[in-house]
Amino acid sequence: MTRPPVIALFPEASFGAALNCVGIARELAARGAEPVFLCHPGFTGVFAEYGFREYHLQPEAGAVQARGEAYWQNFVNTHLAHFDLTPQAQLEAYVAPTWEAIVDTVIAVDDSLEALLAQIQPDAILLDNVIMFPAILRCGRPWARVVSCAETEIPDALVPPYLSGLGPDDVAGRALWEKAASAALRPAHHRYNAFRRARGLRPLPQGQFLECSDWLNLLLAPSAVRYRRAETLPADRFTFLEGCVRDEVPFDPPALPANEGPLVYMSFGSLGAIDTDQIRRMIAVFATIPARFFVNVGGFLDEYREVPDNVFLGSWFPQPSVVAQSALFIHHGGNNSFCEALFHGVPSLVMAYCWDGHDNARRVQDTGTGRSMHRSDWSPDGLRATIDALLKDRDLRDRLAAISAQMKADPGVVRAADAVLSRLGAR
Amino acid sequence: MAERRRAARHNHQSLAQQIVALALDRGLKAGEHMPEQAIAEACGVSRTPIRAAFKILEKNNILIWKEEQGYFLARSAQEGLSDASIAAADRDQGLFTRILADRAARRIADVQSVSALARRYSASRVEVLNALKILSRDGIVSQLPGSAWAFQPLLDTPPAIAESFAFRLTLEPQAILTPGFALDPTRASALRAQMRAFQLLPDGRLTAAGFQRLDIDFHVMIAEGSANRFVQGALLAHHRLRRMAQKEAAPPPFRQRQAMEEHLDILDSLERTQLELAADQMVLHLRRSGIRRPETAGRGMSALLRGAQPAPARKGPAS
Repeated sequence: MTRPPVIALFPEASFGAALNCVGIARELAARGAEPVFLCHPGFTGVFAEYGFREYHLQPEAGAVQARGEAYWQNFVNTHLAHFDLTPQAQLEAYVAPTWEAIVDTVIAVDDSLEALLAQIQPDAILLDNVIMFPAILRCGRPWARVVSCAETEIPDALVPPYLSGLGPDDVAGRALWEKAASAALRPAHHRYNAFRRARGLRPLPQGQFLECSDWLNLLLAPSAVRYRRAETLPADRFTFLEGCVRDEVPFDPPALPANEGPLVYMSFGSLGAIDTDQIRRMIAVFATIPARFFVNVGGFLDEYREVPDNVFLGSWFPQPSVVAQSALFIHHGGNNSFCEALFHGVPSLVMAYCWDGHDNARRVQDTGTGRSMHRSDWSPDGLRATIDALLKDRDLRDRLAAISAQMKADPGVVRAADAVLSRLGAR
Repeated sequence: MAERRRAARHNHQSLAQQIVALALDRGLKAGEHMPEQAIAEACGVSRTPIRAAFKILEKNNILIWKEEQGYFLARSAQEGLSDASIAAADRDQGLFTRILADRAARRIADVQSVSALARRYSASRVEVLNALKILSRDGIVSQLPGSAWAFQPLLDTPPAIAESFAFRLTLEPQAILTPGFALDPTRASALRAQMRAFQLLPDGRLTAAGFQRLDIDFHVMIAEGSANRFVQGALLAHHRLRRMAQKEAAPPPFRQRQAMEEHLDILDSLERTQLELAADQMVLHLRRSGIRRPETAGRGMSALLRGAQPAPARKGPAS
C-alpha cells in the first residue's frame, strides 16, 4: 500500500495567502493527499482550526520582536501616512523597507525551514509568497509557485509593472516606474542575492525575488481581469485559476436597529483596520445612506463609539459568506478580496492602501467590475455618490453575474488541487 | 408594579429558554406532549409561570396548543429546536435586550444617563431604570453616584477574550480539582447526546449560535459541579457575561467538532472520576480554544520589523 502524497503548503504570513491555501488544501485532502502547513510565527493555530497539521518555523533568536501595544503604535505613527502616497512615492517610503523586511524574514527562517522540510519529506511544496526561500530549492522536491497577488507579479512587456498601479498602455509611466523601482529596491535585492549565493543558488535578475517554477505555477487571476501578454505563459507550467475562493461557515447577518436596504460589506484587511480615523470618517457617511453596512474593524472594536443604527462592526467575518450576500464590497484591493467579489458577482469599490492593491484598483476600473477611489482623499458627498452609483448600476450587476457564473463553473481550488496531483501522478 | 411586571416577563422568557433546553436534553421529538405538571416539576417552579412560558414558546412556533389536549413540541433538535430557542429570545425585543444589543454594537457610550437612554428608546425613565436593573443583575452595568450608569467591558474584543481565557484557565481546572466535585448525571448524559448530535450535523448547519449555546452549557455544567461556592459563583457569573456578549463568528467546522470532542473526552474522564486527567484535558481544551485569529505579519506588516522610516506629512482629506 502506498502512502498518500504529502503536500507541504507554505503561505506567507497574511490571511489572504493563508486562506487561499486552506481552500486548496481541503481539495487536496478530499482527493486523498495529506496536506500539511508550514507556518510563520503568529499564525499558530489558524490551519489547525481547519483540521491541518502545522509545522512551525522558528526564526533565529532575536529576529522577531514582540507585537505589543508599542509595536502597533509604532506602525501607526510610521506607516499610515505612507498609504496616502502615490504608488511611485510609496516605493521609497514603504515598498523598499517592506522588501528589506521580507529578505530579513527569509534569512531568519531559512535554517528552520530546511530542518522542517527534512522532517516532513514532502512529495511537493506549494509556496504562496513573493520571495524564494533557498531551503525550498535546496531540498530538491517538486515545488509549485502560487501567485496569489495580482497577475502583475509575473512580468511581461504588455503587463504593467508589479505594484505600479499603472494601466497597460502607459508607456511613459512604465519607464519612470521601472527606473525608480530599480533604484529603490537595489539594496534589498543585492542583499537577497548575496544570501542566495551563500546558499549555493544562482542570483536572480534585477527586481526579481522569486523565480517561476519549472514544475507548476498557479495564477489566481480570473479570466475576467487577465491581461493580454506579449509572451503566452506555457500551459504545461502555468495554470490560471478562476480565483481561489473557499467555502466558509455560514453568516447570518444580525438585524440592525435600522435594518433596511442592501448589505454593503467593508474590509481593508488586518492592515487597513489600523486606520480607525479613516474608518470612522467612512462610517459617518454610511449613516446617511439607506443601506446596511457590515464593517470589519479587526482588533479595534473598542476604538468606536456611537455607531450608527445601520452599521454593524465586527472583529472578524467569514468573508466569503458575507461577500456572497453583499450588494457592494468596499476593500483595499487585496487580490483575495477582489477575487471573492468577482466570484460572487459583487461590485468592488477599491480604496488601495499599498502593494498590489494599487494594481487591482486600476484593474477594477479598466475591466468595468467596480470603481476605485483614493483611500482618504475624498469628500463625504463624493463617497456617498460613488456608493450610490455602484448600488444602482444594473448593467454592472449583470456583467458581474456572468463573471460569477463562469468562475463558479470552474472553481480555482479544485483546478489547483487537480493540477498539483496530476503532476505528481497521484490521481 | 411596572418593575415587577417587567422582571416577571424576563423570568418567563428565561423559563421558556429553560424549557427548550429541557426538551433538547431529553431528546424530545416533534409532536411530543409537554405536560405542564411534569415540566413545572423539572424546572422547579409552579404551573403558573410554566403557562406564561408556554405562551411565549407558542408565539415563537416552538410549541403547539391543541384544544383540550395541551401543549406539544413543534420541532425536535434535528428540526432546528436549538436555533429556534435563540431566535425566540432575539425577537422579544425587551428594552433591556435592545440596550444590551446596542451596547455590544457600540451604539451607546460607556457611561449613560437614564434620561439619555429614555430619549433614545422613547421610553419612560421608570422603564429604563427597570431595564438597567435587569442588566445590573448580570454585571453588565453598574450605577455610579448620581444618575449615571456605567457599562462594564464586554467580552468581545481580542484583549477581553484573551483575559477571559486566562481567567478560565485559572478557575475551570480548579473547579474540577476541588474536593467534592460532582457532576449532575442526568444533565451530563443529555449534554453528551446533544454534543454528539451536533458533531453529526452537516457543515452548513453548524451555526455560531448553536455552537456557543452548547459550549457555554457544557462549561456551566462544570462550574455547577464545583464544590467551592466562590469558584462556582465566579465562573457562573463569567459564563453569563459570555452568553450576553456579541455573538462571535464561529470557528471553522473542524474546530467546532473538535471542541465538542474535547468536551466529550472531559466528560468521559469525569464519569470515570479521573479528575486530574479531566482538569488537564480542560487546560488543553481552553488553550486550543484560546488560539484564535492571530495578528498578521507578511507584506503589509513586515515593514515594521525594520523600524521607523521618516514619514512625510499626511495628506489632508478633502472633506
